[in-house]
Amino acid sequence: MITRNQFPIFKKHPKLVYFDSAATSQKPQSVIDAINEFYTSTNAPVHRGVYASAEGTTSAYEGVRDQVKEFINAKHREEIIFTSGTTLSINTVVNGFAQTLSSDDRVLLTDMEHHAMIVPWQATAQWMKFAIDFAPLTSNGRLDLSAFKNLLAKKPKFVGVTYASNVLGTVNPIKEIVALAHQAGAVVLVDAAQAIAHMPVDVQELDCDFLVFSGHKMYGPNGVGVLYGKKELLEKLPPFIYGGHMIESVSREKTTYAPIPAKFEAGTPPVAEVIGLGAAISFIKGLGWDEIEKHEQALVEHALEMFRGVSDVTLLGPLDSKDRAPIFSFTVAGVHPHDGASLLDRSGIAVRAGHHCTQVLHESLSLGASMRASLAIYNTKEEIDVLGTALQGLKKKLYG
Amino acid sequence: MDERDIYREEILEQYRHPHNFGALEKPDASAFAANPICGDEITLELQVKDGSVADVAFKGTGCALSVASASLFTEWMRGQKIAALKKVTPEFVEQLFKAPVGPARLHCVHLPLGALRKALDEI
Ligand SMILES: Cc1ncc(COP(=O)(O)O)c(C=O)c1O
Repeated sequence: MITRNQFPIFKKHPKLVYFDSAATSQKPQSVIDAINEFYTSTNAPVHRGVYASAEGTTSAYEGVRDQVKEFINAKHREEIIFTSGTTLSINTVVNGFAQTLSSDDRVLLTDMEHHAMIVPWQATAQWMKFAIDFAPLTSNGRLDLSAFKNLLAKKPKFVGVTYASNVLGTVNPIKEIVALAHQAGAVVLVDAAQAIAHMPVDVQELDCDFLVFSGHKMYGPNGVGVLYGKKELLEKLPPFIYGGHMIESVSREKTTYAPIPAKFEAGTPPVAEVIGLGAAISFIKGLGWDEIEKHEQALVEHALEMFRGVSDVTLLGPLDSKDRAPIFSFTVAGVHPHDGASLLDRSGIAVRAGHHCTQVLHESLSLGASMRASLAIYNTKEEIDVLGTALQGLKKKLYG
Repeated sequence: MDERDIYREEILEQYRHPHNFGALEKPDASAFAANPICGDEITLELQVKDGSVADVAFKGTGCALSVASASLFTEWMRGQKIAALKKVTPEFVEQLFKAPVGPARLHCVHLPLGALRKALDEI
């Protein structure tokens, strides 16, 4: 595969079958180099000093904002807010928006949301007393659109929906969902954490109001993420974290806030991580979406075929390869997911076991836990076959 | 598999054929513990005579490590003084495996201890 040798971790561990990219992806040399180079040559505070290296840091940091704007096709650069990740991005939107809700209001989520979407809404609902509805899924692991439409008839003020499920691999028809939600008068937040590394995302085409993602799931570093919001909405949204840089002026009596994006970027930002995110975007663009989608689509098809061929395996997500990210959660009859993952680890295969931060989804499937193999551009068909062989042997290993 | 592997045959045998699996006719104490992370469940029953464990049994569902842990742990409990049971630490249960338990699997191995502590509250 063209990209595997660009990831130094696979030079160190050539046999590693890394199937946990939905949790966090590996980092290409170019991303590591960009961070290293920043600390080695230019490290200085951002937005502060007037000396040359500080100006260089500021322009590098702001340059990534332009890169992200272009990457997701935002209309304005100030619509791009740097956060610590998807979780902070969602909390920022929820905290601000929840303040406008009352006990007559509703929010609509789906059964496939990550805890990062569910928990902030539930926590704020405790003090703002609004109701939360959950749109169910169909038996093949897709969003039940007719049930979703029925719930929209209850006129939710806000819809929070994931672009791609971190468990099922389902890619939701976001453009259609946004249009339906807008017709019903709702504001829409799209959780693109699992989509951003696998497909081009165009916020103007989707017409979503907010869209969030993390750097570390798209070949970038930990500790950085993005909150995109339409300009007029971000301008209305109150800030969530207070401190330096997010102010316009501070007196003993009161503070006025800076315009966006600064209003949402309190404190010293993660400059090296933002620069690493810029390198990750360059890496993705260097490969090109055509190449990425072609490779990953082939992986999806190969994996679906492999899973079909292993007895005792039940795949949780859609069985067809259309609108499907390379994320496969499954159970093996008679094998507890934690045993399965520990035994696969002994064959050099890194998969995850648990509820993957989706207890609502697992409950709707009457499952406590599952195993998950999530793939990325550095994975190969051969690795999928290695997993297939290991899965065939799981029961024998456990039961002798 | 090497002998320091927690999934070695000896441990897997405890999973396949756990000791003390079942229920007691007249337990003096009985307690249930569950692991919300993975849905594992255990019910532990004790029969006490003269301040010591006369009989012990457990039931439930779980991964190989939680079942093996209950098997090894109940085997140790038989004949022990109640006072000794009260002093058991999580580390003590781990060392029954004679192999390192990874941090991600500690909750599996500790499950029977949770049940024991609840059962001791009844005595
Ligand atoms: C769909 C989805 N949303 C949100 C998150 C949270 O992302 P982070 O932990 O990077 O904030 C994740 C990843 O764990 C995810 O898969």
